[in-house]
Amino acid sequence: MIPDLSVDAGGLRLRGPVIAASGTFGYGTEVPLLERRALGAIVSKGIFLRPRAGNPPPRIVETPAGMLNAIGLQGPGVEALIRDYCPQWAAWDFPVLVNINGESADEYGELAARLDGVPGVAGFEINVSCPNVEQGGMYFGNDPRAAAEVTSAVRRRTRLPIWVKLTPMVTDIGVIARACESAGADALSAVNTFVGMSIDLHTSRPRLAFRTGGLSGPAIRPMAVHLAHQAARAVRIPVIGVGGIVTPDDALEFLVAGCAAVQIGTATFADPCAIAKVHDGIAWFLEARGLSSLAELPRYLPRD
Amino acid sequence: MLERSTQVASFPRRGGHYRVMGFDAPEIAERVRAGQFVNLLLRPGPLLRRPFSVYRVLPGGIVEIIYRPVGEGTGLLAAMQIGDSVSILGPLGRGFEFDAGWRSVALVSGGLGVAPMWLAARDAREAGLRVVWVHGARTEAELNLEWLGDEVVYATDDGSRGFHGSAVAAVPDGVGAVLACGPNRMLAAAAARWPDAQVAVETYMGCGTGVCLGCAVPLRAGGYDRACREGPVYRAADIDWDALPSQLHYAVGA
Repeated sequence: MIPDLSVDAGGLRLRGPVIAASGTFGYGTEVPLLERRALGAIVSKGIFLRPRAGNPPPRIVETPAGMLNAIGLQGPGVEALIRDYCPQWAAWDFPVLVNINGESADEYGELAARLDGVPGVAGFEINVSCPNVEQGGMYFGNDPRAAAEVTSAVRRRTRLPIWVKLTPMVTDIGVIARACESAGADALSAVNTFVGMSIDLHTSRPRLAFRTGGLSGPAIRPMAVHLAHQAARAVRIPVIGVGGIVTPDDALEFLVAGCAAVQIGTATFADPCAIAKVHDGIAWFLEARGLSSLAELPRYLPRD
Repeated sequence: MLERSTQVASFPRRGGHYRVMGFDAPEIAERVRAGQFVNLLLRPGPLLRRPFSVYRVLPGGIVEIIYRPVGEGTGLLAAMQIGDSVSILGPLGRGFEFDAGWRSVALVSGGLGVAPMWLAARDAREAGLRVVWVHGARTEAELNLEWLGDEVVYATDDGSRGFHGSAVAAVPDGVGAVLACGPNRMLAAAAARWPDAQVAVETYMGCGTGVCLGCAVPLRAGGYDRACREGPVYRAADIDWDALPSQLHYAVGA
């Protein structure tokens, strides 16, 4: 019997625990190879109210077991999103959450209000953790008051599920997690990329035009597992683990460490079918242990 | 776009500088157009795929690439044997377009920029065009001496063979159109001489499928688009050459 992999993830019932991470999957329309049956949900590329050009190249550099990116939230703006992508999402059999961004708490709220009720939009992931923009982004995510203010601003404008994507660049992620929970978040995504830098010795300059970038990939996984676990210990709402997952075992580490679901990002770049492989691998893992559902997976989650 | 696990089918090594390697990929061989690329995943190997222009297509469904072993990915490729497995994703990107009205076309390449030109010559001849093959390198030793077409012109920076100077400067007057590939600095020079040339640019690349936005190409009209989807072939005058990195240094390290 195929184990039941459905999960509750902050106001949404997902058919599987594996979600496409924001910024690694476009708007869900770009990767024709992916086996969509395995998708629990998609989180869209981060969007602002207005179109954004993004950062100059070079925008990416590969590092040992990882990559640095400084894309800079290139995007068409919310009106083009509603016109070009939401109608496609409305026809899909899994939810799409919109990763929302702003330079002020009001802008986040305005975005949520504009998208609330648009067919195809199942919820929001508030991005208070992008390291690659000059205004907003990570600067909201490393201050508990600012993170709560942004969460509240969105909460006031929508009844759809709200996830908050946390930055790892903090001293105590539990403090930020609790602030977002108190402000009305339905779930937390933990974690976004770590800030990093790489130097080109030919030019004695940073390899990225933006100077710094966000580190993702297997290089960050043990740190991400720890931070997702710390966040899960601190709150009662679901935590969605993200950071360097490539294999089913990687995903199971986050799930055992207290996460309700996981997101896969960078692995999709190398293998467009990574999400399906992780989904199937989790099912086989449960089956091999005689478990009939993901809910029966033994967890390691002592409460703070 | 297809993703297949495939085997190394051939590696006729050439000279000291370039390596050519063939992969058994009949579906890609059948579909690929000049200027399109494949993205190879090596395991064990670096995290990300490595993009390569398709060089030649051989009977029997073999897709060839040409490369220099300079980094971690190409070093691993050079060590592979016939029968070894890789994952191949392609054909990717938008290739060159051909118009029989040109009557003749110059295929201008610098160094490894020769990669898309074999298929370009094939497609140009299919379109009834006279093909002038212009290939340049720093020295004679760095030239790739395989060519296809009706006339060949070599150029070397040091004058050790053929025209003394750049491949762009070596192109004879009077050709109907220009297709170019090579270092971005060379392509900027091509853009200055032929604004309507089609050029295949090189960028760092993350996914190759359009989702990561890593391969940004700055446009004269403002903004960026993706070398892997809208490119890698562009009208030369459409690119903001000052904002496109001219020299790529790949390095991953342990």
